[in-house]
Amino acid sequence: MIDTAREADVHVDINGRSHHHRVPVRLLLSDYIRDVVGLTGTHVGCEHGYCGACTVMVNGDAVRSCLMLAVQAHGADVRTVESLTADGTALSPMQQAFHESYALQCGFCTAGFLMTLESVDPDDWRDRTVELLSGNLCRCTGYQNIMAAVERAWGIERAGSRDAAGVGGEAHGDG
Amino acid sequence: MSCLDPPINISEHVRHSTRYVGRSLRRREDRRPLTGRARYVADLQLAGMVEAVVVRSTEAHARIVSIDTSEARALDGVVAVFTAADLAEVASFPDYIDYIGPVRQRPLAEDRVRYVGAPYAVVVAADRYVAEDAAALVAVGTVFEPLPAVADIDQALAAGAPKLHDDWADNRSVDIGAERPEITEAFRRADHTFAETFTSQRQTGLPIETRGVVADPSDGVLTVWSSTQSPHMVRSTIALMLGVPEPQVRVVLPTVGGGFGTKTHIYSEDIVVPWAARLLDRPVRWIEDRMENLVASVHARDQRHDVEVAYDDDGTIRAVRCTSILDLGSGEIFMPGTAPVFVTNACITGGYDFPLMETRTVAVVTNKTPAGAYRGFGIPEGALVMERVIDRVARLTGTDRVGLRRRMLLRREQLPYVMHGGGRLDSGSHAESFERALEMAEASLARIREQHADDPDTRVGVGYSNYVEPTSPTYHLTTGHWAGYDASTIRVDPDGSVRVAAGLSAIGQGAETIAAQLAADALGVAADDVTVVLGDTERSPYGLGSWGSRGAMMLTGSVLMASNRLLDKARAIAAHMLEAADEDVVVSDGAFHVVGSEQPSVSWSEVATAAWIRTVDLPPGTEAGLETSGYYDPPYLEHELDASGKINAAASWSNGSHVGIVSVRLSTGEVKIEDYVVVHDCGTVINPQLVDGQIHGGVAQGIAGAMYEHFQYDTETAHPLFASFMDYLVPTSAEVPRLRLDHFESPSPDQPLGVKGCGEGGTIGPPAVVTGAVSDALAEWGVDLTTCPVTPVSVRAALRAAQSRAAAEREQP
Repeated sequence: MIDTAREADVHVDINGRSHHHRVPVRLLLSDYIRDVVGLTGTHVGCEHGYCGACTVMVNGDAVRSCLMLAVQAHGADVRTVESLTADGTALSPMQQAFHESYALQCGFCTAGFLMTLESVDPDDWRDRTVELLSGNLCRCTGYQNIMAAVERAWGIERAGSRDAAGVGGEAHGDG
Repeated sequence: MSCLDPPINISEHVRHSTRYVGRSLRRREDRRPLTGRARYVADLQLAGMVEAVVVRSTEAHARIVSIDTSEARALDGVVAVFTAADLAEVASFPDYIDYIGPVRQRPLAEDRVRYVGAPYAVVVAADRYVAEDAAALVAVGTVFEPLPAVADIDQALAAGAPKLHDDWADNRSVDIGAERPEITEAFRRADHTFAETFTSQRQTGLPIETRGVVADPSDGVLTVWSSTQSPHMVRSTIALMLGVPEPQVRVVLPTVGGGFGTKTHIYSEDIVVPWAARLLDRPVRWIEDRMENLVASVHARDQRHDVEVAYDDDGTIRAVRCTSILDLGSGEIFMPGTAPVFVTNACITGGYDFPLMETRTVAVVTNKTPAGAYRGFGIPEGALVMERVIDRVARLTGTDRVGLRRRMLLRREQLPYVMHGGGRLDSGSHAESFERALEMAEASLARIREQHADDPDTRVGVGYSNYVEPTSPTYHLTTGHWAGYDASTIRVDPDGSVRVAAGLSAIGQGAETIAAQLAADALGVAADDVTVVLGDTERSPYGLGSWGSRGAMMLTGSVLMASNRLLDKARAIAAHMLEAADEDVVVSDGAFHVVGSEQPSVSWSEVATAAWIRTVDLPPGTEAGLETSGYYDPPYLEHELDASGKINAAASWSNGSHVGIVSVRLSTGEVKIEDYVVVHDCGTVINPQLVDGQIHGGVAQGIAGAMYEHFQYDTETAHPLFASFMDYLVPTSAEVPRLRLDHFESPSPDQPLGVKGCGEGGTIGPPAVVTGAVSDALAEWGVDLTTCPVTPVSVRAALRAAQSRAAAEREQP
């Protein structure tokens, strides 16, 4: 028979708050964060570590929380998208850039992108934004405005790929 | 023609008072998902809720001999295990369309499964992990007796093929077409003819959020949260199939993580989960996982086109015959998946003036996941055929590809133009968009050619697509039941706040923002004073939801209708309060004023307070309340074929031109999109940033279809050869190039504000563009691609075949 009963204690700091639970050893970190702790901003898109929607930070590194067990996060410092607006009001510069650049449509992948971006030093990735973001799938935006948001937030001059005459996706006025 | 009372006045009013329409107002939807506070269906937690897991067929075609659920039931934490026998009282999904083969789909498969992934049992348990354990035990306890499988179109049509549906004559769900004498004549008179077969592979919409359903039977109302594009249709179908009065079913759209057509369908889980919740008398949650999503949510495309072309020495294409055959999969999906292949044939001529088409429309069933809706809805497949035909004729006759397209493209003076299938193009910039796209691509093409000029292993090519995009279509041909209107209800509350509730669904496209922009302009208030309610059957009027690029146009029509009626009443109340004549009162900046008077104004709040509370202030005989609805049924939209088999199945038609430049590495077959230009025309633009976003995402999905995504099945067993994102290649930021966009605005003369849809256009061009560009790059070997996806393997194969063909020709002069 399947041993569904085996459990263990986990102590995890999530967004600066301590959590202590006894959980099944097979519980994924993604499910722990969402269903046990109740932070549902972290989304589950594929559960095989490909789409990146469930990306959180564990001890400062971007991690796919669907590929990690909750018990493996024992003693770790975990950050989720909810931490980016800790005071519940002001958007972070990257969140603000996403909003202004229209870098999200359905929003399901957004938390994963934000946490990937949060986990890196912009100076290390300024020239490799395409590679940095290639670990996160987005189905709505074609990545166009996500790249634009990162460029906006990180102050990157856009490569001259837009039409020379200035006619292009950004030629319209804004609101 | 339907009623819009009176269309000109509404549009003119908004045109003159516009503050928001036409501006990239920032989305009001953003904050919740940005901060992790949006509530998707999987985020719902209800007291006492249990988890459902669906048990799915591991056989492509088999009889179910027996299902032993005892071990699953015995597992600690399992609440219930259901099979089809438990659902005997539940009605079958309706077969509303009378001209296609009826599938009589049961909510769970009864004695036979017809594709890997078909649902045949449901486990309910205290938590998801236990439910999955139990589902595995049900799978182990199931005895299938395999039947011969049908894996593709040829097998489905073969003489003596195993039949999926025993009472059908064969595996054809539909086969409609008629010879046209003028086509026969054109073929007789043409200088030359050729025949070719084109194919588009199996794909899916693939929202990053899978489907999910939560049902709660508490308080005498069956509340169902479903990640769907059409909540009212889900409500009607649940009520019908479960035999529950419709007012006792409430379907609520949570935040939806994308749909792209896959969530227009009503699936087994939409019925079984509410049914189980009622039976168990507790909330039940089912969330599709990605592995099941790949076999259990509809697939799409998967068409073959057998084409004959009659043409003359000067490149004139006299006539085309096209038999389009759709691989429907098992067909067990509601609503049926047949409609896209009709759309393929209806739209195949794109932006070209080309009346001489003869089409035959066929859909066959196979032992694969049911096919259904996906953004583009048959149009990309047809666009691929038309553009490849034009390129082929140009090549065969030594005609310039661009020049031939220029000769064929529709000119403004030909509008309104009726297409071969009855589509009525009321406006557009078909020729101008192409010219603009060429102009935008000209410099980069020269630069890219220059860059690769000295590289003997690289060739550069360019591809084109000029398409039309039918928007706000009828749903009658697709569903056999619903038709084509949508609705908005607008209320002004006593504090002057405006509430817009619409039948449209928010699925990520920005519908809330658009509705607020429209209502704010129509009522002369600030957008921030408008609250928008979408996707809740208790709070919004009945509507058909978001699909078919209809959101912006249906919101425009219905919001303006409702606003206009509301404004008439409000103006009469204000006039009474101002002691002025109705016609002397105008609304702007949130208040009513007497024209040319210094008199103080009356605010919306004062008017609404009179209407709801201080009814003593109303003009004599005026009904209390300040709430109206508009049910917008677009003019010119037809729901049934005429006697000649033609129909204008869309209320309006957008158009676009794509030009793509690729480089191809000869040694590896690797294709890189070096530049991609889109010129799009969806009439009046309500929010430019949102339109750009629709095109960006559409083109990315089009590129996915052109180069990457492909559901492959074993050709003998019809078993899927994919199980995860490792086998189904969804493009990342590394695969989608920077896109360059420009717009024309050719307003529809027949729709309010001239708005047309824009949701699907982006997907249409890339398969035609990429196949055309790669064929152009490899023209010196005569490579001429006819199928997608274009992969390194397919490019190398085409190149090798062309090189050996050329070598053989050299040996045998």
